[in-house]
Amino acid sequence: MSQATQAVGSTVTGTGLTKYYGAVAALDNVNFEFGPGLNAIVGDNGAGKSTLLKILSGVVRPDSGSIAVNGKEVDLKTARDARAVGIESLYQDLALAPTMSICDNIFLGRELTKSYFGVKILDRRAMMAVARNALAEIRIKMPDPATAVRTLSGGQRQAVAVARALHFGARILLLDEPTAALGPRETAAFFDTLRSAVRQDGTVVMVGHNLPQVLQMANRIIVMRAGHVVAKFLPEETSVEKLTGFMVGSAS
Amino acid sequence: MLLAVLVLVSVVFSLIAPGFATVGSLDNILVVAVPVALLAMGESLAIYSGGIDLSVGAMLGLGGMSGGAIMSGLYHGQTGTDIGLMLLGLGVALAVGLVGGLFNGFVIGKLKLEPLIVTLGTLGIFGGAADLISGGEPLSSFPPSSFELGNGSLVGFLPILVAIGIVVLFLFLFVERMTTLGRHIFALGANRDALVRAGVTPNGVILWVYALAGVAAAFAGFLKASQFQTATPIAGQNTLLLGVAAVVIGGAPLTGGEGTVLGAGLGAILISVLENGFVELGLQSYWQVVAVGALVIVAVYVSQVQQRRKTFGYRHRVRAGTVPAGLMLDEGGSEEHAT
Repeated sequence: MSQATQAVGSTVTGTGLTKYYGAVAALDNVNFEFGPGLNAIVGDNGAGKSTLLKILSGVVRPDSGSIAVNGKEVDLKTARDARAVGIESLYQDLALAPTMSICDNIFLGRELTKSYFGVKILDRRAMMAVARNALAEIRIKMPDPATAVRTLSGGQRQAVAVARALHFGARILLLDEPTAALGPRETAAFFDTLRSAVRQDGTVVMVGHNLPQVLQMANRIIVMRAGHVVAKFLPEETSVEKLTGFMVGSAS
Repeated sequence: MLLAVLVLVSVVFSLIAPGFATVGSLDNILVVAVPVALLAMGESLAIYSGGIDLSVGAMLGLGGMSGGAIMSGLYHGQTGTDIGLMLLGLGVALAVGLVGGLFNGFVIGKLKLEPLIVTLGTLGIFGGAADLISGGEPLSSFPPSSFELGNGSLVGFLPILVAIGIVVLFLFLFVERMTTLGRHIFALGANRDALVRAGVTPNGVILWVYALAGVAAAFAGFLKASQFQTATPIAGQNTLLLGVAAVVIGGAPLTGGEGTVLGAGLGAILISVLENGFVELGLQSYWQVVAVGALVIVAVYVSQVQQRRKTFGYRHRVRAGTVPAGLMLDEGGSEEHAT
């Protein structure tokens, strides 16, 4: 098991987060606390879900408000800052190099090397061994790590990206509609991946559209509308109808 | 498969051209292949990285001219300083290659310009500079050790040029397979964003790629000048075509992200076999250029078909009848979701 998943119970809290684009409030005084497990954000288009994720990943800076990880306030100026405190984003295009192997992709930018006479040489054997473990941890059926990523299905590619993020110290994993491009079977496989990530005390923050899936999977759900958090639920206290009501504004 | 083609072509030539299958002919094929192979190996890195270097042919001419100018300028038949002069010429040629290559890399990386256009520009700059060195005249009267470098043999039968080619091949293979730089070059060509998000700055990788391409090209130029004991600004004529051809014939797609310098080396040998075979058949050597040009087009086609086959979802769509085998038109992006 990697150092990533041993960090038990990371929390991320936002206090009074506000972000304006011109005169439009994308986020207006938003407060939340995300803890271990799957935290789902649902809401209609333009509700501010993506802006919230972008702020957490360091891509967008809020006009005001603060973010804290495990109770400690953090200033996320860039994606690098976010990564440094253990927040990792899974991009929709996954940021994989399709012609390269699963193993190469997992280690891209963080290759393991051995030194011979001061010359650094790739330590393939070590990387392959670690890659096998990282893939085994997320319990998804996967070909050998030497296989090129382009031969993988969409779900398998996503699993590679998740394995990479979790293995390299992601305490908090951000997902923006991760199953939008997947077929039903792939979606099921991907949620299996997520479940095992969550079982290992990972904190996952996911923007989701598939409400039944969200209800089934999530440990916590927040509903956003027009830049506000309009409701917070545990999955057992709510239903698809209730969530939809809050999303469109007919319930309050 | 490339190896099979190489063997097939060689067998055909030895059957129809009696002079082809001799030891002398084999040596000659390899010697002729070396400068093209050096050029192709440098070009390989540029192509793996998703770019291209059109200036390598011009750099071959400039490398030969700058090294040649040093040697012919300082050598006046004296003895004793012979090898030193040759090494000085070599050093100057490699330095010129390095500077030119770094310039390419700097402009492409820092100013974020298309490699195709940048290196088209430096093709002109390097070519013009090679002419300026001597007012377009060829240079000669080099120290004897440069003749030895270009025409001598090790242990009696292994031409020094071929030995150099083998050493450089191993160096490039090392970079390609055993180093972090190699991984980053491929990643840059496969998906630049993936590399950036992995925390690697592409500019450093780009500098390395074009610097190595420049040095390899200038080295090829110096070796060619040593072999013929003449440096001429037009030494690089057609060599850009041959270099890119060797890479493409070697199986590297121009879209970047994959390939091996081993393929580029074999491609260079195949090109040399064609030239030799045509000469042995009594055809004009111009036919080689025609044949290589045609071969490039065939190789690009074969490589495209292979690309499609390697990608997820291809077989499924062939079975479903939505694409005829080998003729799938959409590339990249949409493919992964095609189930």
